[in-house]
Amino acid sequence: MVKRSKKAKTMRKLIKAIWIFSWFNSCGFCELVPLVGSRWDMERFGMIIVGTPRHADVLFIAGYQTLKSIKRAKIIYEQMAEPKVVIALGSCTMTGGMYWDSYNTIKRLEDYLPVTMYVPGCPPRPEAVFEACEKIFGHVKELK
Amino acid sequence: MIDEMEPAPKGTDYDLYFGPAHPGSGNFGVKLKVAGEIVVSARADPGYLHRGFEKLMEYRTPIQNAVLSDRLCVLEPLNWNLVHAEAVDELMDIDVPERAKYIRVIMAELSRIQSHIIWYGVFSLGTGFDTGFKMAFGYRDYILDLFELITGGRVYPAGYICPGGVRRDFPNGARDKILKVLDKMGEMIKLEELENPALGARAKGVGILKVKDAIRLGATGPVLRGSGMKTDVRKDELYEIYDRLDFEVPVRKEGDAYARYWIGIEEMKQSIKIIKQALKELPEGEVIDPSWKKPKLSVKIPKGEVYVRNEVARGEAAVYMVGDGGSKPYRCKIRGPDFLHMIPVLEYLLKGAQIADVPAIYWSLNICPADMDR
Amino acid sequence: MDTKETGLLDEIKSKFKVDGRVQREQRIWISTDGSKLMEVCKWLKDGGFTHLSAISATDWLKDGKYELTYHLWSYDDNILVTVKTKIDRKNPSIDSVVPVWEENAQIHERELHELFGVKFKGNPDLSPLFLEDQEDVHPFRKDFNWREHVREKFYNKENEREAVYYD
Repeated sequence: MVKRSKKAKTMRKLIKAIWIFSWFNSCGFCELVPLVGSRWDMERFGMIIVGTPRHADVLFIAGYQTLKSIKRAKIIYEQMAEPKVVIALGSCTMTGGMYWDSYNTIKRLEDYLPVTMYVPGCPPRPEAVFEACEKIFGHVKELK
Repeated sequence: MIDEMEPAPKGTDYDLYFGPAHPGSGNFGVKLKVAGEIVVSARADPGYLHRGFEKLMEYRTPIQNAVLSDRLCVLEPLNWNLVHAEAVDELMDIDVPERAKYIRVIMAELSRIQSHIIWYGVFSLGTGFDTGFKMAFGYRDYILDLFELITGGRVYPAGYICPGGVRRDFPNGARDKILKVLDKMGEMIKLEELENPALGARAKGVGILKVKDAIRLGATGPVLRGSGMKTDVRKDELYEIYDRLDFEVPVRKEGDAYARYWIGIEEMKQSIKIIKQALKELPEGEVIDPSWKKPKLSVKIPKGEVYVRNEVARGEAAVYMVGDGGSKPYRCKIRGPDFLHMIPVLEYLLKGAQIADVPAIYWSLNICPADMDR
Repeated sequence: MDTKETGLLDEIKSKFKVDGRVQREQRIWISTDGSKLMEVCKWLKDGGFTHLSAISATDWLKDGKYELTYHLWSYDDNILVTVKTKIDRKNPSIDSVVPVWEENAQIHERELHELFGVKFKGNPDLSPLFLEDQEDVHPFRKDFNWREHVREKFYNKENEREAVYYD
């Protein structure tokens, strides 16, 4: 029998569905909104998009961030309730991507927010996003 | 208990920020001053997506710029690819073969249909008609699968339309697949034309723009045609092969949000007609100028300047390119339609509107914040 | 050959004494100096050129000048006329064309003021448009090297992933 803490036990019972707050920048709009449509239906896994960060568990940062928009993303992260997870989509959030020599975009997201998972691609396919979400369920199950 | 509560404060004026984290808006902020339920004045707050595109293009050669130019506006990448390729063709005096011109027009019109489907989806979401949103994004995937078959990428085609022609030819069986997809699009348009009375009641008579104001504020494309002026860059400047094709330009006189939405649906029908004609007349031959077949890493751009205008799904797009004898362009200015629609036109239309009408006016202008900030 | 474009160009040349050429069908390019710019613009607007397509600036570092270009389109004749003029680079300032084309010109001039530093006399609003808290940086000038600026500000030489940007 594996010994788990009380927090991990409650999380294993409760984690059935994750609610997403979408902070779609332009590249994310093209590849995350089709997830809501009828071909790649994400409601069958229990994931829905909510309108306020106070209800959400996961923050998707999809697309490059500029110096103006990363300040707003930090305020949104502070308004979310624990436990919370940040997923970075796309290669522009990991290394700067195609705009590596631009004066106004940020190059490393980990300097501003604590990132749990990176999903590479330009833009990543919807199947990759589902695989990332499945790994979050596994990540919570391993919590001690 | 109720008697002990303090009375409500007097005065009904307050400031409201309709910004990017709001679920009903795009990546763009508008500062509103509101008195009661009526908006007194509006001020646009752009800059959330500014990358400095024009100077990034000065550090890269024309082949590298062809890949970068997809990302100017994410909702219609192939149309912007075409504007940049035409500018380099004219500056360096390259002859594009006939088969390449037909393929360019077919891909650009497919991208225009895909962009109008997104417009239909988010406009229905803004006025509360959620079924239209889900249906639109379901039908859009047929076109994205077609892009993946021909160019290799679902959303970004990796510089498919490049200076000199197009990168590679149609694979076997592409022609029949395109005709099947066009039948599905026809089916979708029949469903979209069934009028939903709630959508009509919320969009008619809202956000009226007259012709004189539209020209003074710089509006182009469907916004100008919805106000009554019959003009289209494809008919004024017959670029590529548009002088051999037969299509109409839809116009309405009222200038409200419903007229612009109706024009979007009619333009999709005309695009289907154009693609069918182009597929019938497609000639055989090469698809790229022979000297550009192997991608050249360093070319010599002659001295000179050009100004190229095209019609993208949102309006008039233009590129002003200056060459000075080096291997990279000296200056590349990009003019997008959304720069004018989102700042002067939106501030003018929101004055005097009710708060509940703000999403209907906002989404009827077909905005794309990436195109405005560049 | 006598076409619509050559006829229009001859009329402008005889009235205002400026240089110009016809590049191809539907394109005319005119160069003038700053004192005649407002008259030429007013005459063209009354003659049917009601649509201002774009205003752009090119930085010629070696000559020490900025070149401003105004691209005008006429819906009746389907011709595009470009008016070019040069101003000094150290203290760039010119009269604004807002009295002629109103809000359309005002937003283009606001963008050029932020990115190049050109002062337009008579423009009602020249506040920053895209950048926040970054005053006095005019990013599109030719003497502002982006790759060095990014290397100093964002990248770290100790980080093994980013050491490649330093050779």
